[in-house]
Amino acid sequence: MSDTHTPSSCSLACTVNGRAVALEVPAHALLIDVLRERLDLKGAKRSCDMQVCGACTVLVDGAPVSSCTYLAVEAEGAEILTVEGLSHGDTLDPLQEAFIEHGAVQCGFCTSGMLMSARALLAEDPVPTRERVAHHLRGNLCRCTGYSKVIDAIVACGRRPEARA
Amino acid sequence: MTFRVVGRSVRRLDVVEKVTGRARYVTDMELPGMLHAKLLRSPHAHARIRRMSVEAARGYPGVHAVVTSGDLAWCDPYFGPALRDRPILAIDVARYEGEPVAAVVADTEEAAAEALTLIEVDYEELPAVTTLAEALAPDAPLVHTAPPLAGHFADLSTLKSRPGTNVCHQFHFERGRGTAALAEADLVLDETYTFPRVQHYSIEPHAAVAAWDEHGGLTVWASTQNPYSVRAELAKMFRAPLAAIRIVVPYLGGGFGGKTYAKLEPIVGALARIVGRPVRLALTAEEAFRTVRRCDARVRVRLGLRRDGLLLAAACEGDFDVGAYADIGPRIIQKGTYTATGPYRVPHVVLHSQAVYTNTTPGGAFRGFGVPQLAWAFESLLDEAATRLDLDPVDLRRQNLLAHGEEYAPGDTPIDGKFEESLNRAAEAIRWTQVAAAGRGRGVAMMMKASIGPTVSEAVVRLHADASVTVLSSTVEMGQGAHTVMAQIAAEVLAVSIDRVRVAAPDTAVTPYDQTTSSSRSTTMMGRAVQDAAEDVRAQLLRVAEAALHVPVRQLGLDDGAVVAEDGRRLSYEDVLKERFGMGGGELIGRGIVAPGRSAAPLGGSTPFWEMAAGAAEISLDEETGAITVEDYVSVADVGRRINPQQCEGQDEGAVLQGLGHTLFEEMLYDGGQLLNANLVDYRVPRAADVPAALQCHFIENGDGAGPFGAKGMGEGSLIPVSPAVGNALRRLAGVRLRELPLTPERVWRALRARDQKESTPP
Amino acid sequence: MLRPFALYRPTTLPELGDLLAEHGGDAAIYAGGTELLLLLKEGLIRVRCLIDVKRVAGLDAIASDDGAVTIGATVRHRAVEQSPLLLERCPLLAGVAAHVANVRVRHVGTVGGNLAFADPHSDLATICLAFDAAMSLWSRGGERQIPLAEFVLGAYETARREDEIVTSVRLRPWPQRTVGAYLKFGVYERPTLGVALAVTMSPAGQVSEARLAVGCVGPRPRRFTDVERRAIGATAADLADAAKPLADATAEAVDTVDDLHGSADYKREMTRVFVRRAVAAVAARAAGREFDERYAHAVVV
Repeated sequence: MSDTHTPSSCSLACTVNGRAVALEVPAHALLIDVLRERLDLKGAKRSCDMQVCGACTVLVDGAPVSSCTYLAVEAEGAEILTVEGLSHGDTLDPLQEAFIEHGAVQCGFCTSGMLMSARALLAEDPVPTRERVAHHLRGNLCRCTGYSKVIDAIVACGRRPEARA
Repeated sequence: MTFRVVGRSVRRLDVVEKVTGRARYVTDMELPGMLHAKLLRSPHAHARIRRMSVEAARGYPGVHAVVTSGDLAWCDPYFGPALRDRPILAIDVARYEGEPVAAVVADTEEAAAEALTLIEVDYEELPAVTTLAEALAPDAPLVHTAPPLAGHFADLSTLKSRPGTNVCHQFHFERGRGTAALAEADLVLDETYTFPRVQHYSIEPHAAVAAWDEHGGLTVWASTQNPYSVRAELAKMFRAPLAAIRIVVPYLGGGFGGKTYAKLEPIVGALARIVGRPVRLALTAEEAFRTVRRCDARVRVRLGLRRDGLLLAAACEGDFDVGAYADIGPRIIQKGTYTATGPYRVPHVVLHSQAVYTNTTPGGAFRGFGVPQLAWAFESLLDEAATRLDLDPVDLRRQNLLAHGEEYAPGDTPIDGKFEESLNRAAEAIRWTQVAAAGRGRGVAMMMKASIGPTVSEAVVRLHADASVTVLSSTVEMGQGAHTVMAQIAAEVLAVSIDRVRVAAPDTAVTPYDQTTSSSRSTTMMGRAVQDAAEDVRAQLLRVAEAALHVPVRQLGLDDGAVVAEDGRRLSYEDVLKERFGMGGGELIGRGIVAPGRSAAPLGGSTPFWEMAAGAAEISLDEETGAITVEDYVSVADVGRRINPQQCEGQDEGAVLQGLGHTLFEEMLYDGGQLLNANLVDYRVPRAADVPAALQCHFIENGDGAGPFGAKGMGEGSLIPVSPAVGNALRRLAGVRLRELPLTPERVWRALRARDQKESTPP
Repeated sequence: MLRPFALYRPTTLPELGDLLAEHGGDAAIYAGGTELLLLLKEGLIRVRCLIDVKRVAGLDAIASDDGAVTIGATVRHRAVEQSPLLLERCPLLAGVAAHVANVRVRHVGTVGGNLAFADPHSDLATICLAFDAAMSLWSRGGERQIPLAEFVLGAYETARREDEIVTSVRLRPWPQRTVGAYLKFGVYERPTLGVALAVTMSPAGQVSEARLAVGCVGPRPRRFTDVERRAIGATAADLADAAKPLADATAEAVDTVDDLHGSADYKREMTRVFVRRAVAAVAARAAGREFDERYAHAVVV
């Protein structure tokens, strides 16, 4: 059924971190702002605002997207996963545990994006090499860690069977 | 010496918050009634503001205020830590492309951004100076025409400008017979090097939220590295007592110096007062490029050596471009120039530098603070000397290193490290004495930097009724792990589990005075204050226990949350407090103050420690494209004692990568006064694939620091040798010496082709 | 953030045509948005509405017919990277798609959007030229095909009229016995240079067809048919020996510009270097050998 009638407001129904969400959003709303302002999910951060740095990375049906340059309405019917959806109560995701264990977090502003990117990578390539991780992280910038421990954490997590959930 | 928690890589206090996305930064804050601000910025490098028409903007739906400098007469509009030269909003003249000229406050960011486009400004462009050469030329247009006002740092009340020029400060340091001694050298080298404009690109751009309360007090939640400096500025500007200004600092998403001293807080504070509601200002990454950067520099070094490699004399002249507003530029030129000759003994020196205004983004503090600019020059030239004298560059350095305990300058702290150990470790780790594989070349470099002095750091440690502990410290957590380190120190002294220690967020209403989180100083200075505060609590515990157990204090110790006597009796802290207060409430409060005061040292205060690091790089080169690959890199930092080994390693891995950025990729490109690449597509920062295949970060721990448990500071040192080490490696591998950065493929390629031309041209 | 706009989501081309006719210059075609939304954020363009083409039937397929492969305009880079059909028929294209921008852009950005935006610093147009790509454009007035080489007019400039949309790009897969390579080079976020080279070897072991495209260094990517002709008849060994003259000829003819990626003369010289390397790669592969060379800040596909 065609949708040529166009209010500048759209209904958005999706699941976010496993929870059903139904919102009215303007067509021009960006996913990052809907997550941060309407759903109080502040983990995704705005930094470069042009899809280069990855601080805003969230998963839409498993695919990593730059939520800063992604219309919220594109998430219609999708399963969105943000960093807040990685842990359940006090139980952390193996990736989060790996980041902690390997010292892969300093200021933390890139961390949400790194984790979500890593999550997408491990879903596709469960035991990635360092080189593969570094290639995959081309779009995730960090100014604090120098990346070594982030790569360590992701590679280590890949080698753990329980991480391949 | 074994410690319970110091020296262990305990998990960071903030790591769970940060991996779960729960950590709150300034831009995550929401206050009831909060409004949003946007800044209108000058499109011109230098222009008179003839007329501004704001009515259309004021009328835009959702707009609460449109503010220009004319609306700020109720405050003192100038700020700046060295020179109070920077207005909250441009007053009559805009001095750099990007300078804020007006502000809009609205219900939403969208409305504020839209209203900005409705402001009309009539500019009259003025001649601009946008390079050092232009700014220093005779009869150059002046960036500032009014006489300078000194800022709030005592050591900078002796600012030495050159009236009638763009020079706002000069620094001069001499030792021995200065340049006269060059005449006695067997070899004198004379070269000039430049260091580019680079930007911090903290992943979190600057942000602040301000709100005035009904008692005339102002609270600013700021992404800042110095809450107390910001407080002092705002108190002066808003004519309020210090006690009425409260600065609260949540986690910073990176700082690297770019968030030192007041940046956004004055405008946000002023806007909040005008609209009578909380106001939030969050810069974009592009705006950060127009807020602060590193001071670019041109450095001339003349170096005189004896034939056997002994350093005799050096003369360095540095011109530092501080941009349109001096920020902490004057101190940067001092700090950088003071140790221009690095960790070596040079009996005769003349060191002189100038801080020069240009109509560009203001230069400010950035990891290394003037030393990268000088070290790039000096360490490159030192290698040139080694080549000319046919000496090994490592041997040449080793021969001239300052010795442990040696005086650097009268009145300053003697050398507090065994520098030779660091150099030897770097050389060994890069396999210096083994021949490099074909197509590989190696280079080394060292650095030395004084930390800031004098400073004041105060801390409070509170032991609660259940033996848990709160540390009150205004050291800012910007990723470097400072809060965790403070907790480790308190936990160590008080013999409690680190899980029972909390560190409060910096809040000038609660956490006592700290000068700054910068200069690699916090572990040493605030760490000592925390240690002293914890020792104060320890002493109180022992005194109470002494009375309760009838055992003299000297026979008592602390262990696992209890006071223990030599005979094995234990009194838990809970019981000690009950004993002390006669009830279940109360707490023991300890205080630490570290304030070494002024000294006769050339920079006004003795350095609490010398930050010294060595770096060694092994590179390969694509001769056809000029692309350098840093295959192996070794950093060695003399840190006294690592309180948290993993965090130190993380800091130095980050420092090396940031150094690689300066060395290979990063530069702010200007066309006259227009910044061309103020965004992350066009400004290239290091990525994961740029990590050297072999990266080793070493630490020398001789327990010889002035900080807790023999610690010294670190975090800046390992960035600095990267550029000269790579530049030296390039020279050794390919025979080309570049004296500018970054070593982009094209720059290197041009040098290689020029080399080829020279080699193929008959003499 | 973005200024408000209306969002239309036609499901057929005629609906799309009506919308374009109604809104004209006030509308922008929207697929992945990876370029469009940035332009809107930066205020470089202002529109009243976006016309989302992702629900228009038939634009998201990768299909093969009549010897050609057609990639619908709304196909994502990621789908190109992973398409079994393309991996079989145009493997180099799939390989190049794997290195576009970063993984997030690959998931969201589309082939049609990329080609219609005509960013000079882009790999897709360069590699598509080597497949004799032709763009299909639809408007209410009818459909037309235009070779990609004529579609891209310059930096960010194409022959698409305001009332047209790109519906697909049609590629001529290489014949059997074709070996190719794509080399991209650059330090910055977008590539500084891209070279696509493919040669078809006759059963006798001589080049019967050659395709050489160079992009990113100038306002638009180009094929170098004169250079291609010179390769005809070469054996794999001849080709290896001819790397330098072929590269020199390309460097002489290539159109380069100064920009933030580097100066025009550097790009000319890098064209020389990477065409030579591409010829070496292809010659090795034509001889049945692996090509293992790796170059700093370069990708060899």
